[in-house]
Amino acid sequence: MDENLKQIALDNRESIVETWKNEVEKLKSQNYTSTISDELFESTNREFANVIFESINDGGSTKSVELFSEKIINLGWPLSYITDGLQVFRRATIDVILGTTKKVDTDSLSLILTSVDQWVEPIIRQLVNEYSGSWENIVSLQRVALQELSAPLIPVVEGITVMPLIGTIDTERAKLIMENLLDGVIRHNSEVVLIDITGVPVVDTMVAHHIIQAAEAVRLVGAICILSGIRPEIAQTIVNLGIDLEKFPTKNTLEKGFTSALEMTNRKLTDLDTKQHFDIEQLIKSIKGV
Amino acid sequence: MEPHSFIGIKKEWDIVGARQLGREIARKLGFGTVDQARIATAISEIARNIYLYAEDGKVTFETIEGMNHKGLRIIASDNGPGIDNISQVMEDGYTTSGGLGAGLPGVKRLMDEFDIQSEVGKGTIVTAVKWLR
Amino acid sequence: MRIPILKLGNYLLISIQMELDDKTAIQFQEDLLQRIHETGATGVVVDLTSVDIIDSFIAKVLGEVVSMSDLMGAKVVLTGIQPAVAITLIDLGIHLQNVQTALDLEQGLMKLHQELGE
Repeated sequence: MDENLKQIALDNRESIVETWKNEVEKLKSQNYTSTISDELFESTNREFANVIFESINDGGSTKSVELFSEKIINLGWPLSYITDGLQVFRRATIDVILGTTKKVDTDSLSLILTSVDQWVEPIIRQLVNEYSGSWENIVSLQRVALQELSAPLIPVVEGITVMPLIGTIDTERAKLIMENLLDGVIRHNSEVVLIDITGVPVVDTMVAHHIIQAAEAVRLVGAICILSGIRPEIAQTIVNLGIDLEKFPTKNTLEKGFTSALEMTNRKLTDLDTKQHFDIEQLIKSIKGV
Repeated sequence: MEPHSFIGIKKEWDIVGARQLGREIARKLGFGTVDQARIATAISEIARNIYLYAEDGKVTFETIEGMNHKGLRIIASDNGPGIDNISQVMEDGYTTSGGLGAGLPGVKRLMDEFDIQSEVGKGTIVTAVKWLR
Repeated sequence: MRIPILKLGNYLLISIQMELDDKTAIQFQEDLLQRIHETGATGVVVDLTSVDIIDSFIAKVLGEVVSMSDLMGAKVVLTGIQPAVAITLIDLGIHLQNVQTALDLEQGLMKLHQELGE
């Protein structure tokens, strides 16, 4: 870094910041930050200017840049505020330095441009990294959250397990569903598993293929798979697409699926006897203590 | 692990050796049990092809780095008779050995990437990659 | 190497506890058919809980064992197929359509009992 130029920049800090602020104000009216209060915008700009100069002064200090970017990210300001701001700063600084230099030849001009780039580039790089880091973090967190939602397996009664599927099924998720399903069958010692697709918006050949494969795999580990939640439009697509679901039982509702799962495990739902004899007069008598 | 490990396929028992080594490498790389089984099964299929048709060849294992993830590359190479009609062997149910005809198309489904190159009289190279999820 | 075959009443029980290579699998096929012939067994349970790989060759041998035993009058149930093994079989396109399965040895025996009505 050229020390002379650095000194010029630091000496002219006031005028650079002034030019810069005016430019950034213009940007504000055009776009993104128009909803932000003038006060907050002022103070953030001031801080931004300080951070830039601190970084130049320390020859690329990273700590203050980091703190600043953290704050901007938390405020939810767009990345373009920072990139635009730094572009404006680059132009303002070059203008001011050119204004103070008496003679400008090609060599010194290129020196000025390179130096200013060297001040600005590390800040841009770090801020962009901080931003993309925070995005990647969010994406990976959401990915985990989505995976958790992806294929829940619920043991209902001994030997019967339900997997309600909600949302779109892609190849990645289908693999996860199959693994969870089979692990769950083993873990809960399930004789019958119900896959409920009430919440799956579209069943195309690919989705049907994955479901059939899962059902086949369930059969291999030694359990039976029932497909429930087949809505009219899904029945239509399945037949129209020529998908063969004959190999395992299908039901239109989870309730019916559960009933046939009970039958398969030699059980059925019955009302308790007490419920039949229950009568409101007796209840009143018992309350009265008669 | 060495970046390159390989195992020669000459005897029938080498098929078992190859898939055990492959499974071990996959486990160390961090693959889950299902993907370990997929990888071991794929190795078993391509190693058996070497044993049945080429009699002498090898299976090489490489760890590879992609954009954001790691993977395992398996290369099965032999100097056997080669395959005359590759599109035919990639069809489900096609077999010359009396097997199920699930071998090579099965390997393609077990792995994420698959490539086969063969020249009659020179030999065959099968390359397959599984990426860490 | 040979896989031990146990007799329990009219049933034969086999628990495969080793890595199956091609020769062992074929030997097993021969041994089992021989034992069905000797004992007149009506049911067979093959437990695969400890098997962590089934490739297309082993699958073919197992499928054949089931069909052959069936011809000789013995129903075969495969039990304890691990999730990872089931998934690789499906990936390979092997569905073992004619094969009966159960979760574990106990349920396999129950299944035989129900089907054979003994």
